[in-house]
Amino acid sequence: MRPRFRFRASLIITATLLLIISLLSLSLKRSPILEKVEGMVVSLTAPGLHGLRYVGRSLSGVWEGYFYLVGVQKENAALRQRLQEYEQKELRYQEAQHTLARLESLLSLKKQVALPVTGARVIAYDPSLWSRCALLDQGEDHGVKRGQPVLSAGGIVGRILEVYPHYSKVMLIVDRNSGADAMVQRTRVRGILQGKGANRCSLGYVPKSADVKAGDLVLASGLGGVFPKGQVFGKISGANKKTPGVFQEIEVTPVVDLSALEEVVVVKVVNLAATP
Amino acid sequence: MTVPVILFSLVGLGLFYFQNLLLFPQVRLRLVGLFLFYVGLRPSFSLAFSLAVVLGILQDSFATTPFGLHLGAALLLVGMARFCRRRLLLQKIGPLIIASLAALTLQEMGVMLILMLLGLRPLALSDLASLRSLEILATAALAPLMATLVIGLENFLSRHGWHTSRSMPQE
Repeated sequence: MRPRFRFRASLIITATLLLIISLLSLSLKRSPILEKVEGMVVSLTAPGLHGLRYVGRSLSGVWEGYFYLVGVQKENAALRQRLQEYEQKELRYQEAQHTLARLESLLSLKKQVALPVTGARVIAYDPSLWSRCALLDQGEDHGVKRGQPVLSAGGIVGRILEVYPHYSKVMLIVDRNSGADAMVQRTRVRGILQGKGANRCSLGYVPKSADVKAGDLVLASGLGGVFPKGQVFGKISGANKKTPGVFQEIEVTPVVDLSALEEVVVVKVVNLAATP
Repeated sequence: MTVPVILFSLVGLGLFYFQNLLLFPQVRLRLVGLFLFYVGLRPSFSLAFSLAVVLGILQDSFATTPFGLHLGAALLLVGMARFCRRRLLLQKIGPLIIASLAALTLQEMGVMLILMLLGLRPLALSDLASLRSLEILATAALAPLMATLVIGLENFLSRHGWHTSRSMPQE
């Protein structure tokens, strides 16, 4: 039994390794079959997340609007009834005000960008720390295409990496595979903005002689045709010139809180360089 | 075997939803990984293997890393669980927590190695090392809960006439 078991275990390990290596190499070659599998899994599981998020929001609305006021209800039933109504109205009013403020800022962004855009909601985040992405509730059916830039009221969020029929995946600017041409607003010094994971980016290939200091805004240069020129990536949080080599080490913190995204806009132009 | 695989996959999906709705992106406990590790410690290899494939593909579909990375990481966890099952006597909760801690750490290192071999820039070890360690520690501390969940699921299945393993009785 023992040699047979060993043979079986070796066979399973070899087959598993072959499977993983084949999948990884197919994935690196952007195999359409794997993309279809990915799309199918997302299409099957994302509606559940979408629904649960909606239920969660509704339940929290009920919690805040009703159960929180149980103590007041005991004091005076009639007064509590009125108070509850006013509280609910107030909550709805505040929520509406917040939504209005967010939508107004998105609208002004839309005017500012002067390109065709569509609004989208973030419904899920990346399950691991090994990459940084988010899932949007707009997909191929809504005209979203791979490569389109995604913005929020504060600045640039990322770009569309995968598109499924009803959903799309956006690679955030802090993802380690994200790279874009950028410039420092004050001095117009250019560099390449690269994601560093977590919630940070770095501005690479900036010579030590360049005038760069903490607090400077980093904008999209428009070169490369991915992100609209002038949109904000982030703020320089540190510049270190005491490094080996000819370039300085610049750390950039995104202006957008990429961990708390709700509504974003997708610019429906894939190659901005080709846009008049 | 189909019913146990479906039930365990649904529980795994539930854990994935729970993490995505309540914890991500600020906190990244490896609940799905821990669940897989404990299923891997149970007698049925085919159940653990199938579950690793299902949950690995699920996580791969929601990430931007190359497809197969999370699948490989999930299978690695099952492999480590099988190794621990055969070589170590994991009866008490202390050794169970230490084993899951070691498995999750090795999984993290394995993934970093694969990313490096693929030419993708992994995070530097110093980068977020303390945060990641804390998350792994917190995940491993949930070992008693996860062990109870897995055994509870097995008991539920056997009460309804489905067994996760035909060859061995329930532990």
